[in-house]
Amino acid sequence: MSINVFEKRAFLVAVASVAVSLALIAYATWGMGINVPTCIPLGSKPFEQASVTKHEGKNYEVHYVARMWAFEPSVLRVPTGSTLDMYAVTKDVTHGFLIAGTNVNLMLVPGAVANSRVHFDKPGIYTIVCHEYCGRNHQNMNARIEVSDQIADYSVEGLPADEGMKLLDAKGCLACHSVDGSVGVGPTFKGAWGAPVTLADGSTRTLDAALFLQKVRHPDTIAVQGYPPVMPDLPLTDDEISQIEAYLEGLQK
Amino acid sequence: MELQTNLRRIILAELLVPLALFIFGAYHGVMQTIYMSGVIRATSVAGISYYEGLTAHGVINAIVLTTFFAVAFGYTVISQQLKSQVSIAGATLSLVLMLSGAVMAAVMIFLGKASVLYTFYPPLMAHPLFYVGLALFIVGSWVPLWTWIPVYLRWRKENRGRKTPMGVVGILATFTVWQMATVPVAVEVLVQLLPWSLGWTHGINVMMSRTLFWFFGHPLVYFWLLPTYVMYYTMLPKLAGGKLFSDFAGRFTFMALILLSCPLGLHHQFADPGISTTSKGIQGVLTLLVAIPSLLTAFTLAASLEYAARQRGGKGLFGWWSKLPYFNPENWLFPYLFCGLLIFLFGGITGIVNASYSMNNVVHNTAWIPAHFHLTVGGPIFLGILGGSLLIVTGLMKKPVVSGTMAMIVPYVWMVGTFIFSYGLFMGGLRGEPRRTNLGLTYMNPASPSYRPDWWVPAHMGMVGGCIMGLAVLLYFIVLIRSLAAAPDAAASQAPFALPTSEPYHDEDVPAVRNFTPWVVAAVLLCAAAYYVPIRDIAKNGITTAPGFRPDSPAAVDTTH
Repeated sequence: MSINVFEKRAFLVAVASVAVSLALIAYATWGMGINVPTCIPLGSKPFEQASVTKHEGKNYEVHYVARMWAFEPSVLRVPTGSTLDMYAVTKDVTHGFLIAGTNVNLMLVPGAVANSRVHFDKPGIYTIVCHEYCGRNHQNMNARIEVSDQIADYSVEGLPADEGMKLLDAKGCLACHSVDGSVGVGPTFKGAWGAPVTLADGSTRTLDAALFLQKVRHPDTIAVQGYPPVMPDLPLTDDEISQIEAYLEGLQK
Repeated sequence: MELQTNLRRIILAELLVPLALFIFGAYHGVMQTIYMSGVIRATSVAGISYYEGLTAHGVINAIVLTTFFAVAFGYTVISQQLKSQVSIAGATLSLVLMLSGAVMAAVMIFLGKASVLYTFYPPLMAHPLFYVGLALFIVGSWVPLWTWIPVYLRWRKENRGRKTPMGVVGILATFTVWQMATVPVAVEVLVQLLPWSLGWTHGINVMMSRTLFWFFGHPLVYFWLLPTYVMYYTMLPKLAGGKLFSDFAGRFTFMALILLSCPLGLHHQFADPGISTTSKGIQGVLTLLVAIPSLLTAFTLAASLEYAARQRGGKGLFGWWSKLPYFNPENWLFPYLFCGLLIFLFGGITGIVNASYSMNNVVHNTAWIPAHFHLTVGGPIFLGILGGSLLIVTGLMKKPVVSGTMAMIVPYVWMVGTFIFSYGLFMGGLRGEPRRTNLGLTYMNPASPSYRPDWWVPAHMGMVGGCIMGLAVLLYFIVLIRSLAAAPDAAASQAPFALPTSEPYHDEDVPAVRNFTPWVVAAVLLCAAAYYVPIRDIAKNGITTAPGFRPDSPAAVDTTH
């Protein structure tokens, strides 16, 4: 017995509807440029610090760091019409990264960098929701992006670097070291991180975490050429030092 | 033919023990909807936290109940339709492994040592016994197929030229899919997770474990679905009073699902980093091909129902719909299958959204996802399990169903509940409401800075629907307990229990769908082709992380001592 004619037609309808669906998906992907996240080659390790970098116009590059149970930065304010290139990593377990009301929807998997781009043409408050179960306080894990007509440039809260600036102020560092390039008792921090520095003994070193730590922990063992060796001992914790480092790294850009 | 006595006992245990566990699974389902609406604003109720309850709900309902039912139903179909003895030693071994594994995992969950959800994504780390339990359970579920294959081959030899009974084709397809799908997850559990949770290894490739999990995770849903498909193809037309419209459609669907169930797990990882868009795209296309057997099934079942309705005097283009046995207490099983089909219609349509590549960006991991799968696993599959269990339990124990009217009402109540529940969660998902989240504490709490008033209506619809679903489960257990307590049915004890079995209306002979081997070989090759590149990329990138994390602390677990 051969296959019933109506059944054959049903089969053709099924094949045709799959073909139509695939064509529409292809159009969405290439025609409208809506794609899913891809594989970012991991030549280097994922970044560890959250940051915001302004590019030309209203283009920003935002590096998000997720951890149990918060995102850094926790608040980002950008002008309406901004385009954001988002990169996000996790420091511990797998987290989710959904900007409600947009097409940004990423999984943050340990060891990998997730990436998406979003354009905001409507002002408003956009919630970033962690949508992957990440432990006891998963429901507390969110951040927000505030898009406004009233501002001309970005501002940010909850970056470890902000804490770094507060520490520089609170610990009295700014009395001698500027962050804007102006000359003080000690060398300026602006552009210093990662740059060569000539020491009093004539040798040249790069300002990195090791040199920075040595100078903070044992200030009398190193002096920078051209500056008096008057740096005091400062009771900074390891955490505070790394927050300051994060801030100084940001100052080179 | 009457089933072997020992086999009857094993089947009853495989149906009743998971149903008893399901009481906890269902309770935690209802509770979640209440937590999520903010009516309960707490981390735990009665000593069990939201996330422990969520883990229990997923593991018990989606793994334990479904797998045990597939095994029990499989034994019933194979031994009845092949009229053969099956290995009791194999059935016992399978039962013991699966039961001990399920109990071990359940104890760890209720001790709060395994609040890692049923996907158990590392680097969240559970107690090693949770992983041991899962491994025992999986291995136990492999045994039946291995003991059925010789029985089936013997039957083929003794019945040359005859078609294998449709139910047997469906059950063998079910467990072939299961066998292919569970190998990667067994590798994940035994090679990656167990040694890591014991402190023998310190790093784990998280992307690899996610990929191995989803290699299993999507065929898992076809494994859930296939026993219900067996009921649709072999029982529904008979219950409706007619015949199966096309024998070919059933055989083709079972073979197509063997071919297409595995090489598409990446559509659960569209949002993952570390996998190229090409790999995702290829598996996205393979995902949509499943629409072909699905739509053919929809056509065949509708045509079978129409044939039955016309036999019963139905007339007109649409008028025949009124002639089906919707409310007949004697035929209480019909609405379980029929309501399941109606629900599945919406489950299938909404699934196209998640499966459609970039469209997944809108709904990935939002409340949309549980809304969708409560219309699939929570619809046809769950109703098939409830109806099938009641049929087989009462049939094997020679008990009457008390009462048929109440049994008949259950699927309708359930259907109303799931529609309300899912509508709410679909709406919430489109507004960014995350799944698997204790919303009441923050997003559904006006005192919290995270409060989202636009999720209020969706979350409350979820709760109303969830409570109605809970009511349906309560009604079902009243029927089940009353039936078990009833005196044996004198009339039924005369005749051996047999599953209702439909005759074909069009009995086509298409040799291509009568032999498993080419389909299984093609399936394995297709899996290898679809997974070679992503697995190679992930292995090469070596995405590893430090030791695991317990769900209650951001400090990494120190497993070195």
